[in-house]
Amino acid sequence: MSDISYLIQFLFSGITVGSVYALIAVSLVIVYKVSQLICFAQGEFFVFGALTMTTLVSKGVPVPLAFFLSIIIAMVLGALIQQVLIRPMKNASVGALIVMTIAISLALRGLALLIWGRESHILPPFSRGEPIQILGAALQIQILWIVGITAVVLFLIWFFFEKTPAGIAMRACAENPYGASLMGINTQKTTLFAWAWGSGIGALAGMAVAPLLFVQYTSGIMPMVKGFIAMSIGGLGSIVGSVIAGLLLGLVESYTIGLISSKFSDTIVFGLLIAVLVLRPNGLFSRS
Amino acid sequence: MNALKRHWWLILLAVIVVYPLIGESSPYKSGLLIFAGIYIILAVGLDLLMGYTGQISVGHAAFFAVGAYTSGILTAKYGFSPAAAMGVGIVFSATLAFLTGRPVLALKEYYLAMATLAFNEIVITLIIGFEGLTGGASGLRDIPPFTIFGFSLLDHLHYYYFVWAVVVLVIASSIAVVRSPFGRALVAIHSDEEAARSFGVDCAKYKTRAYMLAAVYASIAGSLFAHYMGFIAPDDFGILTSINLLVMLFLGGVGTIFGPALGALFLKLLPEITYALQDYELLINGIILIVVLVFFPKGLFGIFTALRNKIIPRMGR
Repeated sequence: MSDISYLIQFLFSGITVGSVYALIAVSLVIVYKVSQLICFAQGEFFVFGALTMTTLVSKGVPVPLAFFLSIIIAMVLGALIQQVLIRPMKNASVGALIVMTIAISLALRGLALLIWGRESHILPPFSRGEPIQILGAALQIQILWIVGITAVVLFLIWFFFEKTPAGIAMRACAENPYGASLMGINTQKTTLFAWAWGSGIGALAGMAVAPLLFVQYTSGIMPMVKGFIAMSIGGLGSIVGSVIAGLLLGLVESYTIGLISSKFSDTIVFGLLIAVLVLRPNGLFSRS
Repeated sequence: MNALKRHWWLILLAVIVVYPLIGESSPYKSGLLIFAGIYIILAVGLDLLMGYTGQISVGHAAFFAVGAYTSGILTAKYGFSPAAAMGVGIVFSATLAFLTGRPVLALKEYYLAMATLAFNEIVITLIIGFEGLTGGASGLRDIPPFTIFGFSLLDHLHYYYFVWAVVVLVIASSIAVVRSPFGRALVAIHSDEEAARSFGVDCAKYKTRAYMLAAVYASIAGSLFAHYMGFIAPDDFGILTSINLLVMLFLGGVGTIFGPALGALFLKLLPEITYALQDYELLINGIILIVVLVFFPKGLFGIFTALRNKIIPRMGR
């Protein structure tokens, strides 16, 4: 392989992980926008999505059906958690809420351990086909799926928030919950929707990459943290900013691993997070 | 009976001293209590930062790691005495907390939680990365047992008394800190930082000091852990350990010193009671924390004091 083909290969892997980070960041943003809460259990939806789909496919369920079933299961799970566990904590401090979502992530991880055991699982690719060769670098078909799914999801989210009444209601809740409720918007229902959406998108991220990496019950922490990093770099609550930041983060990570060292790539990424938090607490792309 | 109310901790002390001598003393039994003691030191330190100062940390295990690895490397590779290595670890942790405290603690809520979590990850990746020094992912071996005044604490029972003596010191000093003007400033910062500032409290300084103190306790716990185990690996100090500390704090009752100690003791002994349920441990920890947060915001210590206040006055009559 020539130098250029290496660089292109890193580009592919950067875009792949970057899309995952972008999706998770978006799922965090949606929940945050409506309920001012960052859910530390978001990585667990990633794991549940990936593993539910793996199980369904291995049981012979056709891939498209397994895909939609897994998303729906994750959405129901998210809505249930909001309704049963988060809603009663309406008046709790942010500290207690953070610990609550951490508790939920522990419980979900424990549940995943009981259901799927300690082994890693891998999903067969969504479609067959040899990798495409581009200047000596191999592009796996699944990467096209990941990028495609990410693009479609982002378009749907944009469409939803900009063009549909429900989306506009959701934005109103985010701006001013009290004002929105005066206008007859059911804020509780909106919050529930936001959680279902957020969980579904988190699960989707896991399902999209499940054919490329082994997923096990502990696999949720890192995607969650990286998604949060993308969200903070992009500016809290900004979907576009989070997507750009997620992709950038994936590229930075991929090129650090490829060109500098795989040992210290996380050191660099986490150092970057602390630097951004300390220097630009409102995010790199925020206007304020 | 007022005396009983005031001096109930003396009974506790007696239990600590006598308990390992009851029945057959086994290395297993004292080993469990040694681990519990080490985690109590960690939890009580973190409580000063979270319970009293109101600063959330999801990365406290980082300082546990710094203490353990400083002790481990200096004694196993450079021939330091364990006590000296522990001292170096304390200085090192305090310095690290001093340098990172001001910028990190300027952050709030989610940002602070994430920054501390990232800090924990950075420490772990550095430990794994600098393989030559730390043994990398496969761990650091051949750490000698603790010695004081040339007296080696090889025996489990001896080490038990040593660790629990440190536990008592840490709890006593934490109570002293909390009752001092410094402690009251921390509580003021917790309830309302703006108001505290307007009364002339230098919030950044006090928060950093609380952070340093918590780091020093964690470092001591790390050294005790390393010399007891003889072998340490990065897994012992990851985010999951930090999260388990949060569970201990909230289970016991955050902001009460004795509460987190109780929480640590309970959670460290629980897996032994339910040994057959190993795979359920994560789920059980999660559910315990959820139940505590929803139904018992004051934790075990809250239940304990409520019972004490109900029972003791009746005994006096």
